[in-house]
Amino acid sequence: MKTFFLTIWSGYVRLTARWPSIGSIAPFIPLIAAWWIITELQIFPRVFLPGPVDVVRSFGTLVYTGILPEYLQDSMVRLVVGAFWGIVLGIPLGIFIGLSPRAHTVLWPPLLFFQAIGDIAWLPILVIWFGYGLTTMTVIIVYTVIFPVVLNTVLGVRSTSITLHRAALSLGASRARLLWEVVLPGALPNIITGLRNGLGYGWRALIATEIIVGTSGIGFLMFDARRGGSLVEVLLGMIILGILWYIVDAWILAPLERATGQRWGLVTQ
Amino acid sequence: MTKRSFISALWFCAPFAVLIVLWAILIPYFDVNPRLFPHLTAVVQAGIEGIQDGTLVQHIGASLLRVAVGTLLALLVAIPLGVAMGVSPVVSTFLTPLFRFFSVLAGIAWIPIATLWFGYGFGAITFIIFNAVFFIVTYNTLLGVSTIPLHVRNAAASLGAGRWAMLTEVLLPGALPNIVTGIRTGMGFAWRGLIAAEMIATNVGLGYMLFVARDFYKTEVIVLGMIVIGVLWLLLDRLLLAPIERATIERWGMVQRA
Amino acid sequence: MGVGDAVKNLVIRNLSKTYFDVYAGTQVTAVRDVSLNVPESEFISIVGPSGCGKSTILNMIAGFIPHSSGEILVGGKPVNGPGPDRGVVFQSFALFPWRTVLENVAFGPKMRGVGKVEREKIAHEFLALAKLSEAAGRYPNELSGGMQQRVGVARALANEPDVLLMDEPFASVDAQTRMTLQEELTRIWEAKRPTVIFITHDVAEAVFLANRVVALSKGKVLDEIEVDLPRPRVWDDLHENEQFKSLTARVLQLVRSA
Repeated sequence: MKTFFLTIWSGYVRLTARWPSIGSIAPFIPLIAAWWIITELQIFPRVFLPGPVDVVRSFGTLVYTGILPEYLQDSMVRLVVGAFWGIVLGIPLGIFIGLSPRAHTVLWPPLLFFQAIGDIAWLPILVIWFGYGLTTMTVIIVYTVIFPVVLNTVLGVRSTSITLHRAALSLGASRARLLWEVVLPGALPNIITGLRNGLGYGWRALIATEIIVGTSGIGFLMFDARRGGSLVEVLLGMIILGILWYIVDAWILAPLERATGQRWGLVTQ
Repeated sequence: MTKRSFISALWFCAPFAVLIVLWAILIPYFDVNPRLFPHLTAVVQAGIEGIQDGTLVQHIGASLLRVAVGTLLALLVAIPLGVAMGVSPVVSTFLTPLFRFFSVLAGIAWIPIATLWFGYGFGAITFIIFNAVFFIVTYNTLLGVSTIPLHVRNAAASLGAGRWAMLTEVLLPGALPNIVTGIRTGMGFAWRGLIAAEMIATNVGLGYMLFVARDFYKTEVIVLGMIVIGVLWLLLDRLLLAPIERATIERWGMVQRA
Repeated sequence: MGVGDAVKNLVIRNLSKTYFDVYAGTQVTAVRDVSLNVPESEFISIVGPSGCGKSTILNMIAGFIPHSSGEILVGGKPVNGPGPDRGVVFQSFALFPWRTVLENVAFGPKMRGVGKVEREKIAHEFLALAKLSEAAGRYPNELSGGMQQRVGVARALANEPDVLLMDEPFASVDAQTRMTLQEELTRIWEAKRPTVIFITHDVAEAVFLANRVVALSKGKVLDEIEVDLPRPRVWDDLHENEQFKSLTARVLQLVRSA
């Protein structure tokens, strides 16, 4: 009996070693099966917990009517625009604060404080300033993404060994080259960690913003469905959010982080 | 307080003093409409009024109580569950993707379904905070336990540690840095989720205070609320969570993982 | 060591280990029909190339992994899982990073239920034996590799085991420190006279430390060689010692020929 289980486990281990994505999908099968059985047995009323079949059906309808692709696109565009500005503003600011002790003294405490205020708390006043719309959302996402990027870039710049600076200077690097050849690559693993955290927060901020002030997007889809009491679409929204972020995080950001941090043997924390 | 830490605290406060002075001077100077941004005096006044009539204290109390209840409940379930799953490499390998998936959803994405299940109010909000903390802490505990080197567990066993001693002397301390990191991240999400949820699903709390103030263009209350939110989280994170994290990770020389 | 206890010897009869390799999906034989007799207070070295099964044998004696067939008797009692009658010193030290040096050494007595004052007295005694008294209050990661392994040895001995199992304990420290540690180990052995199984791939180290060297290859015992070099042994004397040279050469030839 024991050998039997070992053989099964061995097969699973070797399968996931060859196709790692199987390892990340397989655990969901029993979960979905349990969900399906529970809803089929009607343990909870349908209105409270729709089954997987309903969710798949609603997925089909929403794709067919074009609502889902449109909303998905809206959410992704907002996230990408926000992330872009977060990076473009955040990395230079982080390098500046990391390199200048004076800037660090002056700017570090406000940075911590404004990060602590948190994205969502800005929502009411932003709505007063910019109204409901894309500007408000973009500002919130940029605001959310920028702090982890700046804070981690500062950490990365400050943890780059002073010996490396000296080595580069004595090899004839100019100040500008030093920035490009030493400071930036040295801080890169941290920058990517910051980006990963920042997008994680930004993603959630986006959903919250869409729920509260949105007129389109996945968050709006969920909240609109909730207002209409349709749990199917709420669940669908949650699943789409989870899968999307899982793909972005596990297949793009985490490997990127590993590629720089582990490959170079730089783990700074 | 030693002289050195006093000076560094002073340096920490100095930039804020500058900001406040700028605020006090620039807003009246440019004659900014108080519907767009409040005067410093108005915010201070709103703060004093809020404390005097007890509403501010009530909102803060409600928010903190929700966070405390949700977090405590989550930790009570998450840590034992994470340890139990982490000891078996088979179980932890298999379940890791599941918990990663749910960590991703943590917090805000649960608001619509939570309000449907529990209605508007304490239940829904506690559920959201529970969720934000639970999945991340479980995942981190599992990760922490499963990355304790086998040698260390073997060493304890060969020195005569039984099941209970293994848990309290090896598994929990070994996973502690991860657990603390998990709590810190989870509470970060929970705090944001709380503010968002309070805007939607309740009639008391800091988020609610902000959102109602927006309806009446009371920017001084909004700004006051933002400052309170920032200060509270900064106190919680920097004075409670970060020092614990540093103490365990740095003293024990354990590198933070994931 | 202890008084009036049963004989602290180790008997291994026809020990074999086959296991199911999850990654390869097949049965693998790591140890084949090994028999060994270690009388009380003897110091034996098991030497062989990487992958010869020497660590598997030690892990089976320690009880970390089950054996497939044969018998392991410590003081006449069969081995069934890890236990305090067999102390283990690990190649990777396996110290508890969240405990101070003193607490690490006092861990075994603590598991036996020895009171705090008494077990700290024991720990101090063994720290003094390992010349570590000054480091008592420090954490493992604040020590050098050589010092960490001294803690490892002190921790295993403080539990007064019947048999001390050492798994390539000096393989991860630098060459100079390794020689010092080897000399100290012979000194401690002469003072306490524990029964020791020492695993290594370093032939000179095996001969230097042991009364008897067991050469192992591909999971089988090739031969056993008596080492009757005089004690105390120090490297300065043995470097030029003809008997040491010829013994080392013999073991080396044995291991390489297989």
